[in-house]
Amino acid sequence: MAPSASTQQILLSPAELSYLHTSLSLTPPIRPDGRRATDFRPLHAETDILPGTYGSARICFADGTEAVVGVKAEVEKSTPSYVGDDEGGGEKGRNEWVEVSVEIPGMRDDDSMPVFLAAMLSESLLADGGFTGRLWINRRFHWKLYLDILLLSQPLSYPLPLLSLTTHLALLSTRLPKLKSEKDEDPLFDDDWDASVHLYPVGSAKPAVTLLVMAVKDNIIFDPSKEELSVAEVVLAVSIASHSSSAGSGRMQVDSGSGRQLRLLAVRTIDPPSRLTHPGVPNSLNTATGGTAAASLEQENSKREGLHEEGVWQPPRGGAKRKLIAGMIARVLEKGGVGEDVLDGLDAVELG
Amino acid sequence: MAITILAPAPAGVPYLRENSPDPEDGGADLEGDHDMRPAKRARHKKDVVTPGEIVTDDPQWMRGHGTFIAPASTEIIATVAGTVQKTNKLLSVRPLRARYTPEIGDLVVGRIVEVQPKRWRVDVGAPVLADLPLSAINLPGGILRKRTETDELQIRTFFSEGDLLVAEVQSLRQDGSASLHTRSLKYGKLRNGVFMSVSGTGGGGGVVRARRQVWTIDTVNAGGKVDVVLGVNGYIWISKHVEVAGGDTAITRMEESVSSTVYSSQNDEIAPETRREISRIRGVVNLLVEEGLRVDEDMVMKGYEAAIMIDGEEAGESNAYLGGEKGKKVLGLLSGP
Repeated sequence: MAPSASTQQILLSPAELSYLHTSLSLTPPIRPDGRRATDFRPLHAETDILPGTYGSARICFADGTEAVVGVKAEVEKSTPSYVGDDEGGGEKGRNEWVEVSVEIPGMRDDDSMPVFLAAMLSESLLADGGFTGRLWINRRFHWKLYLDILLLSQPLSYPLPLLSLTTHLALLSTRLPKLKSEKDEDPLFDDDWDASVHLYPVGSAKPAVTLLVMAVKDNIIFDPSKEELSVAEVVLAVSIASHSSSAGSGRMQVDSGSGRQLRLLAVRTIDPPSRLTHPGVPNSLNTATGGTAAASLEQENSKREGLHEEGVWQPPRGGAKRKLIAGMIARVLEKGGVGEDVLDGLDAVELG
Repeated sequence: MAITILAPAPAGVPYLRENSPDPEDGGADLEGDHDMRPAKRARHKKDVVTPGEIVTDDPQWMRGHGTFIAPASTEIIATVAGTVQKTNKLLSVRPLRARYTPEIGDLVVGRIVEVQPKRWRVDVGAPVLADLPLSAINLPGGILRKRTETDELQIRTFFSEGDLLVAEVQSLRQDGSASLHTRSLKYGKLRNGVFMSVSGTGGGGGVVRARRQVWTIDTVNAGGKVDVVLGVNGYIWISKHVEVAGGDTAITRMEESVSSTVYSSQNDEIAPETRREISRIRGVVNLLVEEGLRVDEDMVMKGYEAAIMIDGEEAGESNAYLGGEKGKKVLGLLSGP
């Protein structure tokens, strides 16, 4: 579970927390900005913005949060591996061929939040198995990929989905010089940039995307804002990718007409900041409102938790139900669901 | 469609340098007094200077706020990012974004960040925290009650960390920090609603000082009455309107009738319809802020009416979200007539 330091605490009063929590647990939930449960905030995206990189992208939310990702690659000599290295295995990549670094303004490089975000992003990228294989040049050389992720604004909400979407676009726009040498020769590349090849050619599988999903009672809510996160009971980071339509598996998908088959790559729970909030004091226990305060802290706690008064904030207790987590994942993966919409939306962004 | 991804809008036309050749006044626009003409002024509004940029090196100008003159030079250098303003021979730079500077009598919304023995420290969006002394609040049980040691010990039952309140700036100290008071029935702890923070006075948009900072909206769709509190500091509170119980109590006894819920942190029951309208109003304010428009009673009411009209036109379920296309339509209605 992600440490709670990675989701920053914002100070909210018990009355606000109670209002947000009750609004979000209604059916349908009423979000403070009026969005529907599955709606994302509209965003602006563009690719190929940095001339010095192999691929880059920028995504900007309407509220001003903005991220830029640049991809750099260099040729590196492969160290021979001793386990299972192989003749027929061929184009197998290694996880250390990809290096992800996240920079957030106002935070040190070794703060838990950037480190954790970088780990989560690289985990989801590597989890599809095919990514590092693309970096294989020949048995002696490979590409080493540096993904530099920069959040330009203050993190107004948990920035993981923003960074992940931007990384996805940057990788889609990444082009590598065309290889001219053959087999295990020292690699020689075509110096014509127009001849370069996409790391992810059109029609192949796509890099992973991580979405943030939260739940309040039984309501599943996508793309939560900071206020919404502060009353969440469960927060999941779900990484998905689409199967390539031309998968070499030979299995023909029956419904190949719709094109997209989503695959779950990784799920991480994130510690919701709501657990650390102070509970609200009900009127009956508040001396300022004519109630009588309990004599000791234990008595107060037991009294308060015995009461179930509407309108009093109680921090969530206990873990998430398995059924709820399964439901959240299903909502991402379902046909015509949010996962598909997001991938379709990203596909529509013009490359270059 | 759950997500909309748009191509970025092309950047605005880069502004022309002031010394660009201008046939009208021979390129000498900064030096002369010609730019007091309204037409010129409107054009100058776009001129943004950044910190460190030399505004002018002409010694005839006096430096005002937001500028600086290095020793042994005549160059006036901007110290903040903002627009150049000229008042006769005084040159100042008005910042694009600034923190709130408290003034006596301002209605502010604040959040308690620290509790001290006899006072609270309140975040009001100013450079320094404001103070709320225990002696400046209405204690429950009558206005004339004496403050006792018990009150000091129970200071957290009135306000504790994170609580929101609406207050008035009572006095200012030498360092610019404010001292607040809530000694009126209008002021006190906030509940039954949502908070949002926009930029306060200082920049172009945001909350401006107006005749009324607090008013009640009669919402549509069975939403009932909704109170809006626009703090001059840019903190905004939108909540369900609560009728004061026993409206016919004598003015001297009014204190007692409301004091029982003044320091409550328990929300009343709020209908889903009201919650929906509250998010709609929040969306309107958000839209105004994103467009850099001023936020006051007039604009919020106009925006709210436009939002309802647009929502009514659209087929399908009612949706309060004002992002993307819908927001543009609302803005079109706002600026149109």
